[in-house]
Amino acid sequence: MENTETKPEVKTNKLSKKEVNKAFWIYQLGCEESNSYERLQSLIFCASMIPAIKKLYTHDEDAQKDALKRHLVFFNTEGTIGASIQGIALAMEEEKANGAEISDSAITSIKTGLMGPLAGIGDSVIWAALMPIIISIFIPMAKQGSALGGVGPLVIYTIVTMYISYLLIKRSYRLGKASITSLLQNGMIKQVIYGANVLGMMMMGALSASYVTVSTPLKLHVSGGSTIVLQTILDSMFKGVLPLLAVFSIYWFMEKKGPRYGIIIGSIIVISLVGSFFGIL
Amino acid sequence: MHAVGLSIAMGLYFWFANLRFGYTFSGMLKQPLSVALVVGLLTGKMADAMTIGAGVQLMFLGVTSTPGGNVPNDPALAGTIAIPIAVVVGLSAQAAVALAVPFGVLGVFLDQLRRTINATWVHMADNDAEKLNYRGIYLAAFLYPAIMGLIIRFPVVFAANYFGQGAVQSLISIIPQWLMHGFEVMGAILPALGFALTISVIGKKTLLPYFLIGFIAVMYFKADIMAIAVIGTCIAFLVRNNALKEEA
Repeated sequence: MENTETKPEVKTNKLSKKEVNKAFWIYQLGCEESNSYERLQSLIFCASMIPAIKKLYTHDEDAQKDALKRHLVFFNTEGTIGASIQGIALAMEEEKANGAEISDSAITSIKTGLMGPLAGIGDSVIWAALMPIIISIFIPMAKQGSALGGVGPLVIYTIVTMYISYLLIKRSYRLGKASITSLLQNGMIKQVIYGANVLGMMMMGALSASYVTVSTPLKLHVSGGSTIVLQTILDSMFKGVLPLLAVFSIYWFMEKKGPRYGIIIGSIIVISLVGSFFGIL
Repeated sequence: MHAVGLSIAMGLYFWFANLRFGYTFSGMLKQPLSVALVVGLLTGKMADAMTIGAGVQLMFLGVTSTPGGNVPNDPALAGTIAIPIAVVVGLSAQAAVALAVPFGVLGVFLDQLRRTINATWVHMADNDAEKLNYRGIYLAAFLYPAIMGLIIRFPVVFAANYFGQGAVQSLISIIPQWLMHGFEVMGAILPALGFALTISVIGKKTLLPYFLIGFIAVMYFKADIMAIAVIGTCIAFLVRNNALKEEA
């Protein structure tokens, strides 16, 4: 900003509410639509910056081209929490357009530096916690045949997440990149990620207990005519030992061999059918 | 509703939900509960559709988190095929789950295909940026993926619904009891995949005790999911300082 005082011929070029809102809507509507293996969300991030780029670099076509290209580089994050990156990018473009010394790589490195940590928060809070919580609340209604079980999650989840994104893009644009770099330095963002992971872990435990419902019907006939129900013995040892075993065997396999879904799903199918055939599961 | 009409509607629904127009909105649109709502409206059997939808939803609750956009299982493909067929033919929720399993897996490959093809639009956008063709970038981001999506998604679900009803009807009558039960077992184990994936993505072995706290709270103390969410948030606040001690 100080440049405008020393060089009065440079007209200050501010973004209005309109460009920020447009960036919000474009990214929220399309952030997964054009997702590709090559550059993931780069295309939509660039598209969301277009209204701002047009406004900031109105009289400089080369600057517009450069700006478009710099936002077409690899980008990927979780869209709800990731909206804050848009706010920061908008703030940085605005400063740059008004003469501040900000290089292309400065903007790109802020974006790429934030996309991982913010995706971590978004995945564990928005998708692994909030979404299954909202669905879980409405499943009982759906079970009883009520249409509300379908309407509720759609309306509530959409409104809550969009509202969070809207607040984040507004706020991060206002505070600019300074706020985020200081957050990164004082460890605040680490705390948020850690907290989100703790919540995510607890939710995974709770959901595993509720929805992994594997059990055994096996009965052992012992001499003297009495029967022993295996599940009762398992329950008396540790309740839910089979669901726990299922989750952790898959987890262990993924840790060792990577996320090879084909093999995992194949094994689940074979175990289920064989187990059912012999009356073990 | 007529079989052709329902098949077309489901094909379009699957196309639109997996288009991912509207980030979180489409994320929920992909869920079996949302599919069931639409099937209920179209067939006039709302109660049946929702009950079956709830059953199928349980199986997919573990895969709502799709870290990095990698889906291990596609609830939308499973839902748009299994739910309408189950409602029309009159299957139980368990049988619908069994029907949903294979299609959920197939959906993964469709998504990989889409994201491979999508690379084309980024290259078009590169050229548009060079020519300052703003309209071109918007089209590459919104319109072209939509058209391509219609071509690769609609036929699968339309055909499965249109030809599936009759096939499923005759199949169900000859299917042995153990196989039917085998599918139920699958539905009981499959959610574990999604949960395991999320643990693996969180990637902090030191946090595994929190998993057990959540697990035991439900298993032994019959806590509601909502209660765990609140307790989990409280604990997250209490222990957040541990982040600073960790690694460094």
